[in-house]
Amino acid sequence: MAKKKVDDKNNQNDDNTKNEGDLSSNDEEPNFSDPEGFVDDISEEELLGDILKQKPKETDGVESVIVVDGVPQVGPNRIEKLKSVINKIFAKFGSIVNEFYPVTAEGHTKGYIFIEFSSPVHAAEAVKLTNNFKLDKQHTFQVNLFTDFAKYEQIPNKWDAPEPQPYQGQADLHYYLLEPDAYDQFGVVTAQGQSVQIWQNTQPDPTLAEDRNNWTQTYIKWSPLGTFLSTFHKLGIALWAGPNFSQYKRFAHPGVQFIDFSPCEKYLVTYSPQGDPHNPDQKRIIIWDIRTGLEKRSFNPEGPSAWPIFRWSHDDKYFARIGQNNDALQVYETPSFGLLDKKSIKINGIRDFNWSPTDNVVAYWVAEDKDVPASVTLLELPNRNETRKKNLFNVADCKIHWQKSGDYLCVKVDRYSKVRKEKNEIKYSGMYCNFEIFHMREKQIPVDSVECKEPIQAFAWEPVGYKFAMIHGESPNINVSFYEVRVGQAPILLKKFEKRACNHLFWSPGGQFIVLAGLGSNGGGSLEFVDTHEFLVMNTTDHFQMSDVEWDPTGAMVKETDCLKIQILRCKSAWLLGYWIWSFQGKILKRINLEKFAQILWRPRPTILLNEERQKEIKKSLKKYYPQFESKDRMRQSKASKELIEKRSALMEKFQSYREQRIREYLENKSRRMALRNSELFYISVVGTAISAM
Amino acid sequence: MADWEPNLRSKGLQSQNKKPIMLQGHERAITQIKYNREGDLLFSSSKDNKPNVWYSLNGERLGTFNGHQGVVWCIDVDWTTTKFMSGAGDNTCKLWDCETGKEIGNITTASSVRTCMFSYSANMAVYTTDTAMKQHCEMFIIDTRTIDDSIGHQVPILRIPIKGPKVSSILWDNLDEMVITGHENGEITQWDLKTGKQLNSVREHDNLINDMQWNKDGTMFITASKDHTAKLFDAEDLMLLKTYKTERPVNSAAISPILEHVVVGGGQDAMDVTTTSTRVGKFDSRFFHMIFEEEFGRVKGHFGPINSVAFHPDGKSYSSGGEDGYVRIHTFDSSYFEYNFDY
Repeated sequence: MAKKKVDDKNNQNDDNTKNEGDLSSNDEEPNFSDPEGFVDDISEEELLGDILKQKPKETDGVESVIVVDGVPQVGPNRIEKLKSVINKIFAKFGSIVNEFYPVTAEGHTKGYIFIEFSSPVHAAEAVKLTNNFKLDKQHTFQVNLFTDFAKYEQIPNKWDAPEPQPYQGQADLHYYLLEPDAYDQFGVVTAQGQSVQIWQNTQPDPTLAEDRNNWTQTYIKWSPLGTFLSTFHKLGIALWAGPNFSQYKRFAHPGVQFIDFSPCEKYLVTYSPQGDPHNPDQKRIIIWDIRTGLEKRSFNPEGPSAWPIFRWSHDDKYFARIGQNNDALQVYETPSFGLLDKKSIKINGIRDFNWSPTDNVVAYWVAEDKDVPASVTLLELPNRNETRKKNLFNVADCKIHWQKSGDYLCVKVDRYSKVRKEKNEIKYSGMYCNFEIFHMREKQIPVDSVECKEPIQAFAWEPVGYKFAMIHGESPNINVSFYEVRVGQAPILLKKFEKRACNHLFWSPGGQFIVLAGLGSNGGGSLEFVDTHEFLVMNTTDHFQMSDVEWDPTGAMVKETDCLKIQILRCKSAWLLGYWIWSFQGKILKRINLEKFAQILWRPRPTILLNEERQKEIKKSLKKYYPQFESKDRMRQSKASKELIEKRSALMEKFQSYREQRIREYLENKSRRMALRNSELFYISVVGTAISAM
Repeated sequence: MADWEPNLRSKGLQSQNKKPIMLQGHERAITQIKYNREGDLLFSSSKDNKPNVWYSLNGERLGTFNGHQGVVWCIDVDWTTTKFMSGAGDNTCKLWDCETGKEIGNITTASSVRTCMFSYSANMAVYTTDTAMKQHCEMFIIDTRTIDDSIGHQVPILRIPIKGPKVSSILWDNLDEMVITGHENGEITQWDLKTGKQLNSVREHDNLINDMQWNKDGTMFITASKDHTAKLFDAEDLMLLKTYKTERPVNSAAISPILEHVVVGGGQDAMDVTTTSTRVGKFDSRFFHMIFEEEFGRVKGHFGPINSVAFHPDGKSYSSGGEDGYVRIHTFDSSYFEYNFDY
């Protein structure tokens, strides 16, 4: 075919006269030979390009060749043995096509060899796994692909100093704190990250600050001070910050599911429970420096454990975890990311620990073991001083609760009166409960005890202040008790609310106000707003099947006019999803129902920068500021209502004009309608009026 | 008994001294309720087979209409309150004498009767049948001037086969010239009765239209649809005027005869009711401002979805009938009439 085509082309292009001659001779025999002076203008590529591709090349197979250096140098008598050893190592990556052992004149091997595999894939695999392979003490293999040599040869000898990159100024990461009215923000995720919205909680209605589709693949998380928004993706974590939520950093960690920020936002811990299937070397826990985006250290945790595995001290200086077999506390220090004093702290039987929120003190508890009683210990770091140790008996379990300002520590001790062992399972009976209160700011750290005979449902410290609350008792006799701790005094029972339907306690971030809530499907959804100053129940209401309650971060501010609270509701039925916003007094402000609603989170705020005296001063002169806020609120309200009224009057006007016409038509048809109904009566009335007119 | 939303107390939706009247007489879910023209009587039908009639003032039962053998889907009463009409799942459409409660006419149909209505003059009536049992939905216009046993054999004045989705609600205009049908797929169609032809058709709803009701003068009507909305339409050109949004299917909606208010009732499908508590079911009647489309109040009470709502012709009370089998008559407080929107 190709040949004929060439002929045709030739005939047309080259020589027409010749062509005629050819035709004349056609009668006898077609002439297939090229005319004289014909130059084949078709390249081989064009003719048989598909076959040419298969033509063997000189470089073929080069990619399958590896160079192994560091092989023992042996004499001719032992070369066979060497070959068998080498074969054993490399044959497992694929069939070896060819091997070459360069030898000196005396027949000694030169210490490097060439091996050709059947496929470049095998070669690459061999390089990956046998490079730095230790054959014995003296010999370590250096394995490279043969093609790498060419690559390395091309590196220019002269080194060019890299150009300094121009400094890229960062956007203001704290712009959201400069908002003049101190409005808080919150993020709303719908349908597993299909859409993420950031709202500004403006008065009277929230405004949308940012709305992006597919921003995250699962959910979002704010950093503890609110600077960064983290989004989860298949390949890792992205942090967003600044006025437009531009991307701040990316942390590649495939399959990441959990993250944890250090309290000062210096470091980020990412945890991918399954690891990366394509890269088995990838560690499952990685600690990153947020500012540089570099990996600082990685760990592979043994077995499943409760997240967060690492717990940070308040100043980001240390982080710690419980060692394997519960026999040690491993404290690491930053920025070196090594073990503190290069060794972990041996504590046999350590069960749980927690950092103080304000000091570098760790509280941990140790379960009882034969003759040794259980104990709770306070440990100062880095000097490893045991500042206080309290022995406890008959302990089933302990929970460590620090007060947010670090002034008190409460250890909830579950105790038993009897213990039985059944098939390796320890069964406790006659349970009761003790609260051990540690006065951290006093000399010698005195400890007080509060006993409670009933099961405890929840416990919570007032974030700022001296009170704590607990829910105790069994349904339906659930009670809520409030205690106060004072210097040098045992905790005093302040108030006991009896028979309440709640299972969770939520203190306002600024203290004083608390919400008693019944979460979950069997919690009943009751909500009770309590002012603990005089134990006044401000409001009782409910939100059926609510799943979570979260205070807005400004609860810490003195401005009391707009403390808000959000509740998430998750339920099987799609139309129940949504969030409701309440004021701290229990007034409902907003009901928002969202289909496929997945998550809502307030953006946190850094701790207040004003010192205590200044805060007190502001509280004192609150009355002075009050009118300002008041007038501002009123202006906002009136502005909103003005807009609303304008909108309404426009609607009304439009509707009225439409109606006028219809009413006119309606009246025009009156006689027809009259005729339809009761035409006789109509006739009489018409005639009657006529008669009376006469 | 009165279970009102507290913050609506001020709006007078809930009466402090007048408790709602509960009409207990039906054994199964209410399907439709209707006042007569004067409003002294309230008619109700339910999935049991006896439509009832009540004194709307005190809730006393005046009587029942006995004769159907299946779910009664629709009822209507003529403007003189002499004739009563009902359509049922036993494939009959029956006409009754209001005064005696006696059956005066019986029409056997090929499938269940889903909607029925007297014309403005009550000289004619319309009923439609379901698309079921290999039968196509059809609309029949019958002469109701004189009703006797022969009505079952009479040839209807007009017989319009409905191609496409079945009729789920119907309205007759105030000049006996036109019928408006609401369909299963959310379509609304106007039919000219002189020609039997389709005049106009719109599709503003995405799902079944459960109910359609006139405003007082019959120039606008409100639709209630499974697509979670109620909508206000102009009767002349089927122009969409207003939309009232809720979170669950709307089964019925009515327009106040004296104020610019509409009430909508609904709730999730009956089959889902058992899986939810009454506390979250939202089986409330919801009040919207007709023009601003703003919700301003809710009335609780039913422990199942509301299937039908109706305003008393004097606008001073309204009734609702629910899946729970109760009809509740609510009388408005004086503060309801004092509550005004600023504009």
